[in-house]
Amino acid sequence: MKLDREVAGLTCARVLEHLPDFIDGRLAPAERASVEAHLAGCDVCERFGGSYGAVVAALRRELGTPEPLSRDVEQRLAQALGAPASDDP
Amino acid sequence: MDHLLGEATRSAGDAELIARAASGDRAAFTELVERHRAAVHRYARSLTKNDADAEDALQRTFLAVWRSAATFRGPASARSWLFTVARNAALRQARPRREDATEPEALAELGARAGWGTDSPHALLEGAEVRARLGAALARLDADDREVIVLRDLEGLSGDEASSVLGLSLSALKSRLHRARLRLMASLQEEIR
Repeated sequence: MKLDREVAGLTCARVLEHLPDFIDGRLAPAERASVEAHLAGCDVCERFGGSYGAVVAALRRELGTPEPLSRDVEQRLAQALGAPASDDP
Repeated sequence: MDHLLGEATRSAGDAELIARAASGDRAAFTELVERHRAAVHRYARSLTKNDADAEDALQRTFLAVWRSAATFRGPASARSWLFTVARNAALRQARPRREDATEPEALAELGARAGWGTDSPHALLEGAEVRARLGAALARLDADDREVIVLRDLEGLSGDEASSVLGLSLSALKSRLHRARLRLMASLQEEIR
């Protein structure tokens, strides 16, 4: 497969470049329409764009909330901050 | 410790908490720490080579926040300031990063490694333990790639906030993030082959 394939006036390479702004809804309306038209006529980009968006969404969904600190780390942090106005512990 | 805090402290915004910490308000500082310690620890761990360094960076971050709260300028993003402090603390422990003298991989090649042009992208997130597989793929990335994904996709910093933390232009930040995500997908691809 070549990324220089052109569909709806846009190459696959340009679509790949635009993907981050496309999934974030940050493309200008005309650019967004061009990408949507390309995706409608290009299975390869449609499939890959869907996967890219799914991975980004999964990162946010699955890893968006950090693990709480372990009790030990939490306690050592509290001890370190016990007298934060002083110099290094 | 939460029960010791007043409602006004629990509901205050980060910028307000930093301002109050700057005037010596320990309750505000405690709330700020409890609100962000897990995120700061994760971010530090993404930059350091081991848990001990990450923990040290965590402690240094909040000590620095307490001492330098007065330098925070309200209109700036409190989270980007906090992560900048954390970055400075973590990079004190981390080894200097290798400057990559090689040509950056062409976006097309990176896209192909990430699964463009194949049927397999759909399979990347199929199956069980998605969280664990994503975490493992993230851990396999270079520190630069991991860092930008942690800031933007996990912590949810805006492009402006993340570019401020990393000292990059917004366009450079976007490019780094895009390439990092593609490398993450490539890593997931390699795992299922």
